[in-house]
Amino acid sequence: MENLLAFGCLVLTLVLYWLAKKLYRRTGNWWTAPLLAVPLLVIGAVVVGHIPYHTYFQDTHWLSWLLGPATVAFAIPIYEQRQVIRKHALSLSCGVLVAMPVAVMSSVWLARAFGLSELLQKSLAPRSISTPFAMATASSIGAPPDLTAVFVVITGVAGMLLGELMLMLLPLRSRLAKGALLGAAAHGAGTAKANELGAEEGVVASLTMMLGGIATVFAAPLIAWFV
Amino acid sequence: MKRLSDPAVKQSLATVLQVLMLCLVWLLASRLSHAYVPEIPAGVLGMFLVLAALALGWLPLAWCKSGARWLLAEMLLFFIPATVAVVQYPQLMGSIGLRIVLVILLSTVLVMTVTSLVVDAGYKFEIMLKRRKRQHGVL
Repeated sequence: MENLLAFGCLVLTLVLYWLAKKLYRRTGNWWTAPLLAVPLLVIGAVVVGHIPYHTYFQDTHWLSWLLGPATVAFAIPIYEQRQVIRKHALSLSCGVLVAMPVAVMSSVWLARAFGLSELLQKSLAPRSISTPFAMATASSIGAPPDLTAVFVVITGVAGMLLGELMLMLLPLRSRLAKGALLGAAAHGAGTAKANELGAEEGVVASLTMMLGGIATVFAAPLIAWFV
Repeated sequence: MKRLSDPAVKQSLATVLQVLMLCLVWLLASRLSHAYVPEIPAGVLGMFLVLAALALGWLPLAWCKSGARWLLAEMLLFFIPATVAVVQYPQLMGSIGLRIVLVILLSTVLVMTVTSLVVDAGYKFEIMLKRRKRQHGVL
């Protein structure tokens, strides 16, 4: 019975993901964005159905497992964009080297100022980078990776909502800066938005996201010391 | 029934094989990471292995491109199970949850502002350097 339920959870997750993607492609409303809609619907189903998390995770952990190969896959776009990296090495490294400390430190300091526990401060620290990098960083600084994954998703939704507003408010001249803004602050969600603005914005956003992720993973000992 | 020689079938078969290959690289990388460099997460180590193989010409880009594109395009699906874990933390409902959302919103605004202004300045500097180089070339 439990095995059947676990398998049902996997099917439910796949079906909801597929439906949300289809619906978003057709309507384009921000609240049908799979990043927001799928986790909410699945969490809703698990809560309403009183399904214990270990049952939910029994078969769906295969999906989580694929985050590992997905991290490896980042090598391909990085390799394909090597010309852009070389051309804008200075701006890109400035962006990454500034964005990552600002993201980590402001998350930790704000969490501390709002009286959140040390565990939450740690789990919030890597929240602005792409999920596989964020979860890897979380486990090396002693934060629960699943909690970090939740905060990464909230960050993505926040970035989707705030991105356009900030692009309007800030006096930015270059496409490079617009792409970096979205990629550094809102990982994959920001990169998707940047691709809507233009190809160059999209490339810069994805590079900022990927390089920022790698930089944060390597900075993990520093982050652990800081929190 | 579509034939195996159908280009669409061939393409999806290639994608599946490439995804399997990237999975194998990840398994290899996690072995290596466990044994020699536990500081580097397996995924990142595997990424550097593939990057090196591509740069050295050992791995043609066409052998991994469509698999990588699929894995990255469907990445959202892979982290949904982790986000469901939030049901194990009922204490995050209410005031704490609200404070977390506030932290994320404020920090996101800060990251966006600082990053984009710095990159804009860096870009202007890049252009200045290029102009100077060009002038030296002329002289």
